[in-house]
Amino acid sequence: MATIIIDGREIRCRDGINVLQAALEAGFDVPHYCYHPGLSVVASCRLCLMEMKMPDPRTNEPQWSPRLVPSCQTPVRDGLEVRFDSEKVRANQRSVMEYYLVNHPLDCPVCDKAGECYLQDYSYRFGQAASRVVDPKHKNPKKDIGPRTLLYQDRCVLCSRCVRFTQEVSGTSELCLVDRGHRAEIDVFPGRPLDNPLQGNVVDICPVGSLLDKSFLFKQRVWYLRTAASICRGCSTGCAIRVDHHEDRVYRLRPRWNPGVNDWWICDRGRFGWDFIRAPDRIVSPQICRGGEAGRVDWSSLPTMIRLRIEQVVRRHGPTSVAAILSPEMACEEAWLLGTFLRGLAPGAPLARGPVFVEGQEERFPVGCAPGQERFIIRPEPHPNRRGVEAVIEGLGGESADLEEILGRAAGGAIRALWVVGGYPRPDWPDQALLAAAEKLELLVVQDMLPGALTRRAHILLPFCAWLEREGTFMNHAGLLQPFEQAVQPPEEALPDGQYLWALAGHAGLYRAARVREMMAAGLPGFDRPHVPPEEPEHAH
Amino acid sequence: MAWKAIDRITPADDDGDAPVLSEAVREKIRSFFPRYPEKRAALLPALHIVQDAVGYVSHRAMRDIAELLDIPPAQVLDTVTFYSHFWTRPRGRKVVVACRSLSCHLTGAEAVIEAVKRHLGIGEHETTPDGAFSFVTEECLGACEQGPCLLINERLHGRVRPEDVPRLLNDPDNDRLDVPRSDLYDGIRGPTGEMEGRA
Repeated sequence: MATIIIDGREIRCRDGINVLQAALEAGFDVPHYCYHPGLSVVASCRLCLMEMKMPDPRTNEPQWSPRLVPSCQTPVRDGLEVRFDSEKVRANQRSVMEYYLVNHPLDCPVCDKAGECYLQDYSYRFGQAASRVVDPKHKNPKKDIGPRTLLYQDRCVLCSRCVRFTQEVSGTSELCLVDRGHRAEIDVFPGRPLDNPLQGNVVDICPVGSLLDKSFLFKQRVWYLRTAASICRGCSTGCAIRVDHHEDRVYRLRPRWNPGVNDWWICDRGRFGWDFIRAPDRIVSPQICRGGEAGRVDWSSLPTMIRLRIEQVVRRHGPTSVAAILSPEMACEEAWLLGTFLRGLAPGAPLARGPVFVEGQEERFPVGCAPGQERFIIRPEPHPNRRGVEAVIEGLGGESADLEEILGRAAGGAIRALWVVGGYPRPDWPDQALLAAAEKLELLVVQDMLPGALTRRAHILLPFCAWLEREGTFMNHAGLLQPFEQAVQPPEEALPDGQYLWALAGHAGLYRAARVREMMAAGLPGFDRPHVPPEEPEHAH
Repeated sequence: MAWKAIDRITPADDDGDAPVLSEAVREKIRSFFPRYPEKRAALLPALHIVQDAVGYVSHRAMRDIAELLDIPPAQVLDTVTFYSHFWTRPRGRKVVVACRSLSCHLTGAEAVIEAVKRHLGIGEHETTPDGAFSFVTEECLGACEQGPCLLINERLHGRVRPEDVPRLLNDPDNDRLDVPRSDLYDGIRGPTGEMEGRA
């Protein structure tokens, strides 16, 4: 720990960080563009300059140095005294902001970044209202630099965050700075577009409206967006994300700081891979098949109906004739509610974890880095909660079986009632073995999101909501338990899975994941204390 | 999309399938590797060699260099465009550089520049149709005491008067150097002196 003095206030800060980071963590709003805690320091934007006390060469007395120094490049050391609250520092900020706006088109009304733009914020707080420039503006071009990203060079402040990101984090180095001085531009090598699995992050770290995501372009003004804290379901890494939504419609996913898990980044598979929630044919209401005809039923009559049907099977064939297949797409709470409900009716009911798919290979970034030097890993397991579901099945005790065994017993007639949870947004679900086993059943309850061969065979069909429409916890590949919030309401009359499972288990009122976790903690120690990533400092970047 | 965005996804016109650098040029670039701890440090010598051997650094040449030095092509583009010395488009056999800085300006550079443009019939950053001359201006040629000055390839001409310009440009030896020079960064020449740069 070092103690430094900022604007006369003593600040205790971690060793090895720079003054800018210490000031931001202490709540000082220091403007900066080029500094990003996840990237190397270049000290090029000249906005975070500060006054610093240095020893006088003659007397060795500390006194204010006449020269301003970049706070992002000055490491903290005990006794260092600096100030941002001075006329000299403010004059520098004013001049630098004026410089940044010399060629800026001031097209905020049509700019996607307006509302979350640091050029706007800093102009308002540290700049000046009127421009003194009388010369015509130099107009820089717009460039199509990749399949998902556009570059508006006219809005760029050349902080080079995006260039450093592709060099240091993705390791793909598609972006570069061409030309120099006032003619400098961000660019790609023609024919080598910005197209890597992490490229969406350059849009997030761009402090101005220069790099824009084509899929979000002109879709929504950011000040209408509300944000929910969620966890990505794209793979087992378990990246923390923000879900930006408005009137129950999701507009974009962005990374949420989660040190040690995903830091400041997410991959494109997670960022863009949620289109399925808008599928027009989603299952939105509970249905019961009577005499070959599927009919919608009321949510309120459902618990009794399901109970009766399961009890009937238990009476006829015994308590081990009921089984459930729990999907790694479920939240831990939902798996636990369903497991305890079924075990309540059929105490010996075996529980199995549903199939786990493999998508591609493990991708490590920066590309070509030495083992142990990874800054981001995309894992080949495209489910968020395999370990969580396994932990719940283990924690519930009793008989757990693997999937093949359950399907074998169902095919052999030992299992007569099967509850299958799907929710895999993929075409290779369900497989033939499951469909064949389903033929023999007396009762097949299916929870799924999209209609398919299995849902057509279901006697009772329940909607499985997308994770953005539910709340709960996922356990990532390393066993880290992370909660996620509900961002939007499910479509039409669908209820979040947790809500109807809560009612099914005989509880009254609203489902609250935190409350279920407290109930779970008796058999599953630690489930009431999930990992919540720290909040980033307010003025971080 | 309704507005115009420059397409950077398709390769450039001068970025063909076939490599442009000859094996001799590659070998010369490789000979610089042992001088540095990393191959990428040989980027500037490589650019000088390619420019001398081919005349300019095309996008395809940049890719060839990137492959040789094991760096992304974007980093070569970054460096090439930073230095105004490097040409990314074909240039004339002789490059005429005029100084536009203070000392030369005061001693009459403006009239010299006009005379060059008039004689060659081209503007700044242009090349004559026969490919004989290209003309550019630079901030300083480092010979302020001889202003106004002109550089023709590597030969400096001081105290140039506008009326000297036609004679100077017509002189076939106007770029011949009287002093010995290093061929450290030169491209490879065959036995008769012709370039062997292209593959």
